[in-house]
Amino acid sequence: MSARAPHPLKTKFCFFIILSWMGLFSLSENLANEEKSSQSEGVAPNPADPIRGKEHWAFKPLLYSSPPPVQDSSWPQSPLDHFIQSKREEHNLPTLKDTDKRTLIRRATFQLWGLPPTEYLIERFEKDKRPEAFEAIVDELLASPHFGERWGRHWLDLARYADSNGLDENFLFREAWRYRNWVIQAINDDLPFDRFILEQIAGDLLPFEKVEQRDRQRIASGFMVMGPKVLLGNNPNNQKMEIADEQLETIGKAILGQSLGCARCHDHKFDPIPTQDYYALAGILTSTEVMERRFMLGQQRVMERLVGLGKNGDTLDSEYEKYYRERPQLISQQKQAQTAYDLLKKDEKAFQEHAKKHSSKSIAPLSLDSKLKKEERLQAQKKLLDQLKHRVKNPPPIPPRAMIPQDRSKPQDESIRLAGQFNKLGKKVPRGFLQVIGQGDYKIPDDESGRVELARWLCDSKNGAGQLAARVLANRIWYHLIGRGLVRTVDNFGRTGEAPSHPELLDYLAQQLIKSGWSMKSLVKEIVLSRTFRLSSEEHSEADGYDPDNVYLWRAHRRRLDPESIRDTLLMISGKLDLKPLDSSVWYLGDQATAVGANTNRRRTNFPNRSVYLPVIRNDLPEIFDIFDYTDPHNTTGQRPHTLVASQGLYFLNADEVFKISETIAKDKLKSPQESSSSDLVESFYLQIFNQAPSKEEKIQLSSFVQKTLQHFESQGHSNPQLGAWTLACQALIASSRFQILE
Amino acid sequence: MKCQNFIPVLSRRQLLQTSACGFGNVALASLLHQQAQAEKRNTIVESQIHPKPRAKRIIFLFMWGGPSQVDLFDPKPTLNKESGKPLSGKSVGSPRSQLGKVLASPFKFNQYGEGGVWISELFPHLSKHADKMCVVNSLHTNGTAHGEALLRLHTGNANLVRPSVGSWISYGLGSESENLPAFITVSPPRGHGGVQNYGSAFLPAIHQGMAIGSAETPIAKAKIPNLKNNRLDKSLQKSQLDFIQSLNRAHLKKLQKDRQVEGLIENYELAFNMQSTMPDIMDINQESQSILDLYGVGKKPTDNFARQCLLARKLAERGVRYIQVSTDYTWDTHQKNKAGHITESAKVDQPISALLTDLQQRGLLEDTLVLWGGEFGRTPTAENGDGRNHHPQVFSVWMAGGGVKGGFTYGTTDDFGYFPVENPVHMHDLHATLLHILGIDHLKLTYRHKGRDFRLTDVFGNVATDILA
Repeated sequence: MSARAPHPLKTKFCFFIILSWMGLFSLSENLANEEKSSQSEGVAPNPADPIRGKEHWAFKPLLYSSPPPVQDSSWPQSPLDHFIQSKREEHNLPTLKDTDKRTLIRRATFQLWGLPPTEYLIERFEKDKRPEAFEAIVDELLASPHFGERWGRHWLDLARYADSNGLDENFLFREAWRYRNWVIQAINDDLPFDRFILEQIAGDLLPFEKVEQRDRQRIASGFMVMGPKVLLGNNPNNQKMEIADEQLETIGKAILGQSLGCARCHDHKFDPIPTQDYYALAGILTSTEVMERRFMLGQQRVMERLVGLGKNGDTLDSEYEKYYRERPQLISQQKQAQTAYDLLKKDEKAFQEHAKKHSSKSIAPLSLDSKLKKEERLQAQKKLLDQLKHRVKNPPPIPPRAMIPQDRSKPQDESIRLAGQFNKLGKKVPRGFLQVIGQGDYKIPDDESGRVELARWLCDSKNGAGQLAARVLANRIWYHLIGRGLVRTVDNFGRTGEAPSHPELLDYLAQQLIKSGWSMKSLVKEIVLSRTFRLSSEEHSEADGYDPDNVYLWRAHRRRLDPESIRDTLLMISGKLDLKPLDSSVWYLGDQATAVGANTNRRRTNFPNRSVYLPVIRNDLPEIFDIFDYTDPHNTTGQRPHTLVASQGLYFLNADEVFKISETIAKDKLKSPQESSSSDLVESFYLQIFNQAPSKEEKIQLSSFVQKTLQHFESQGHSNPQLGAWTLACQALIASSRFQILE
Repeated sequence: MKCQNFIPVLSRRQLLQTSACGFGNVALASLLHQQAQAEKRNTIVESQIHPKPRAKRIIFLFMWGGPSQVDLFDPKPTLNKESGKPLSGKSVGSPRSQLGKVLASPFKFNQYGEGGVWISELFPHLSKHADKMCVVNSLHTNGTAHGEALLRLHTGNANLVRPSVGSWISYGLGSESENLPAFITVSPPRGHGGVQNYGSAFLPAIHQGMAIGSAETPIAKAKIPNLKNNRLDKSLQKSQLDFIQSLNRAHLKKLQKDRQVEGLIENYELAFNMQSTMPDIMDINQESQSILDLYGVGKKPTDNFARQCLLARKLAERGVRYIQVSTDYTWDTHQKNKAGHITESAKVDQPISALLTDLQQRGLLEDTLVLWGGEFGRTPTAENGDGRNHHPQVFSVWMAGGGVKGGFTYGTTDDFGYFPVENPVHMHDLHATLLHILGIDHLKLTYRHKGRDFRLTDVFGNVATDILA
C-alpha cells in the first residue's frame, strides 16, 4: 500500500526531498538564487521563523520617501513620475516622448472601461486644448458604470468568481451573480478597500439598519462561499479542512500576496509562516459554515449555503426547500391517487383494499363515503388527484437567495493536522493571525468565528496587515494600468516572488492608497494622470539593448486585448453591444451546469451584453474566453496567462461571429452615403477598428485587396460582390495585430 | 531579467523546436523563464533523468463510469458460491460491519495465452492478445464518486486544479510532431471535471490536451472549433491571409520590434496550415476496407469506438505522445450490471483488439503503451438487486505494448475482490509507472508554480517495477 495513507514523515520532508532533487535538476537555478538571497537576508536557518521574517521587504513598514529630485525636471508631472524618472536617470535611460492623443485615449478607455473610445469622444478630446482636457475625460470614465464592469472583473479574477462549483460535481451556483453585481457596484461606488474586504469576509456578521443593507452585506460575504469544493463522497471533516484551505489560499494570495497554503502540512519552506499560523487562521474559517444540507436532483446533498433575501426571505426559502424535500412523497401520492381513482371506477373491492394500504393523503375521504353516489365519490377522488397533479407540476418559484456563510454555533480553535491529514490531530492553536505581522490588539470573542477581526486586521495599517495589503493592492492597480507590476509576481510577495523594481514608488503608492481612505478610484486616477501613463510605446534601440523588458519604463508596455475587450469591442463596433447590465445569465440551466450522461445542459453565450455578465461555468467557459487566456475560475488569479495559440488565429480566420460582425460593419458602411469613394470607406473602417486614420499606402493596400476580392466574387457570380469584398477586408483588419494589440 | 510576457519567436522552425508546439497551442506561451527552464529541462530529460525509455507514447482507452473488475479480469468463484449472502466487513477486513449482499458474476472466465491471463467471455476478440497484456488487478484509488475519481485518475488530485497526466508528459517530452500537439484527447467527458481532466493547469498552455469532440457526441460528428472556413475557397482565404500578414508585417515594421506581433504572424501561418492537416487526420476514409472492417467501422455496436481507436492509431503514427480515447458515461451499472456489461463490452472489444493488431502490424506497438481502464471498479456486492456500486478500493486495468510484460498478471485481491492483497498499486503508483515507461523519473519531473515545486505524483508514487519488460 504505497499511497492510500501518506506516511507522515514522507509528507513532512517532502520539501527537503524536492530540494535535494533540485540539485540534480534544471529548475534548481531559481531556487539556488533564492537561497543565496535568503542567506544574504540571514534567514537560512529557518525560513518559517516569523521574527526573522520581519526582515523580508514585504513585511517591513512602509518607507516614506519624498519624490526624488531629477536632473530633467521638465518631464515629471506628478510625484510618481519623479520616482520613474529618477530610476531611469540612474540607469542612463532616455525619456521618450508622449504618445499621441488618439493612442492615449484608446489606452485610457480600454484600461478603464475595457472598450474602445467612440470617434465622438476622440474628436472632443482632440479639439479640447485645455491642459485639463485629459483629466476631464478620465473623470468621466471613472464616473461611468463601465468602470466597475472592467475593474470589478479584475477583482472577480482574484475572488475566483464562478457560476458553478467545478471540480468533481459541477453543480450550478444559481445565485452567484448577485455577488458579481455587488462587486461591480462596490467598485463603481468606490467603496473603500478596507470596507470592501470587511463585507466580503464578514458581511453576514455586520450590523445593519435596513433589510436592504443587511442583504447587500450578506451578498458580499458570498466571497467566502464561492470556492470550488469536492462535493461527493468527501468525508465531512476532510471537506471542512479543504474548504478552509481554499479560503486561506484565496485570502492569502488576493489580499496579502502570500502563499499560506504551503504551511498546511509543514512550516513554510520559504516564507515566515509556521504551520501554527496556518491553523490559527484555519480555526477562524472552520468556525464558519459555508455548506448546508439541501435536497437536489432527487437526493439530499451537502451544497453551498443559501439564504433567502428580503423581508420574508427565510420563509420563502424554507417553503421552497420543503417542497423539494417532500416532492418524492408528493409524486408517490399522486400515483396512489391515480391508482385509487382507476380502481374506484371499475373494482370497488380492490379500491377498498388499496385505500386501506395507502395514506389518507392520496385517498379523498368522500371517495370512501359509501352513502354517496359513485359519481360523487369519483369526483371527490378526481379533485384530490388534480390537486396533487397541480402541486407536482407547479413547484414554488425559486425564491431570491444568495450564497452566504454563517458562524458555527460553537466556534472552535483548530488543531494542527499532522502532515496536513485531516484525521491526524496535533496540538490546538488559538485562533489568530500571522505572527510575522503580529496580532495587534485584536481579540477574537469565544462565541464568534473571528472573521470580523480577521477582515479588520487584514486592512489595518497600524495594528495589522494593512501596509502589506496596501502594497499588494497598489501593485495590482499599477500592473493593470501600466502592464507590468512593480513587483512582477503580483500574487507572490514572498521570498520566492520578485522584489520590487521601484521599492520607493511602491511604498509611495501604498501610502497614497491608505491616505485616501483606501480609495481605489483615487489611485487609478493618480496613475492615469501621470506622465508615465502617457508614454509612447515606441522602440529605442539603445534603451532596448540595456533594458529589453522595459523594467524602468522608458516606454509604455504594449499589451494584447483580453477576451472580454475583444468580444465587447467587436459587438460595439458592429453596433450590437447592449450596454445594460445583466443579472443572472444562467437561469435556464438545471442543477448540473455541465453535461453528464443524459443531461445535455449547456451555458449560453449569445447575450449581447458585456462579457463580464457571461456565464462563468467552471470547466465550460465561453469559447472566446478559453481561446484568449481568461482566468481559470477555480483559482484566485492576479495575472492571467499570456499565450499565443493557433486556436486564436483560427478564431479570427474562421469563427462565424467574426465574419458576421465584419459583414454587419461592412453593410453599415456601404449604406452610408458620405463614404462613397473607396478611399473614404477605407478611412472609415480604419477609424472604427483602429481609432486611427490610414496612411496613403494603407489606403492603397486595402483598396487593392478589395478590388482583387471584388473581381473574384464577380467572376464567381457572388450575389453581392461589393459587400463580400468589404466584409473580408473588414475581417482582415480585425484579425490584424493592430486591432489586437494595445499600444 | 527578461520580459515575462511573451516568448520571442524568431522563426517558425525555432518555435517548433523549442516549444513542442502544435495545434491549439503554438508556442506560445508563457513566461520566458519557464521556457528557459523548459529548454534546459528538455536536454536533461533526454540525457539524465532516466536512461531507458521503454515507450514513446501512450494510448489510454478510458472506460467512463467504472467497469466491473470481477466480471472482466479478476474472476472470483467465491462470489458465485456465496451469491445472495450478506458480506460482512470482517470477512474482507473492512471497518464497516455490513457490505451488502454478494452478487455472483454471470460471466464465464478462461485463461488465455501462454501466460494464462484470466479474461471473461465478454472480451472474445481481446482474448487473442492475452500474451501482449499485462493485467493489474490490484489498482486502488480514492474518491467514491465519479468526479473525484476521474480527477484523480487524470490529474492525481481532486480538490486542487492540477495538470493532467498527458500535460505532464507533453511538458516532459515535448511533441514528436510538427503540426500536432503532444497531447490529444478524443471524445473527452464534459462532466466530472470536464476540461480539467485534460487541462494543463499551471503548466504552459501548449501542454493542454487538444480535445476532438466530446463524449456524448459520436466521433463521426466531432468538430474542431473554427477549423473550417465555410465561406471561402482556399485560394481566396489564402489571399485574405496574405493581406492580414502584410498588415501585421507593416505593423511590426512600424514598431520595429514586438514579440507579440512576431508571434501572431507565426501563429496565423500555423493556423492556416492546420486547416488542411487536421481534416486529413480526421478523415478515416483513406483507410483500406480491410482495416475499417478489422476495427468494426460502419457496424453496430462497434462503429463509434472503432472510429475513435482508428483515430488514435493515426495520431500515434504522427507522433502524438499521449492519446486518450473515452467512451461515453456508460459503464456505470448501478442497475442491470449483467446487461450493461454485455452491451458495453460489445462496443469496445473488437475495436480494441483491432487497435492492438494494427499497431503491431505497423511496428508501433513496440514503442506504444496501450492502457485500458476506468476511474474505479465496481463492488462485488449487489446494488438495486442486480447492479454494482462504485468501488475505488480495488479494480483492474491492463496495459499492452511498449515496456510492459505480456501475458502477465500483477497483484491479487481477496476472495471477494474487495481489497487488494498482494502488490497493491495506487493511482499515484500507476502514474509513476507510466512516466517511468516513457523514460521520465516522476520524482524529477517538477514545475515551479507560485513558489512551490509540483509533480504529477505529489509526494507519493512508487514505480511498479515488476511489471516492466
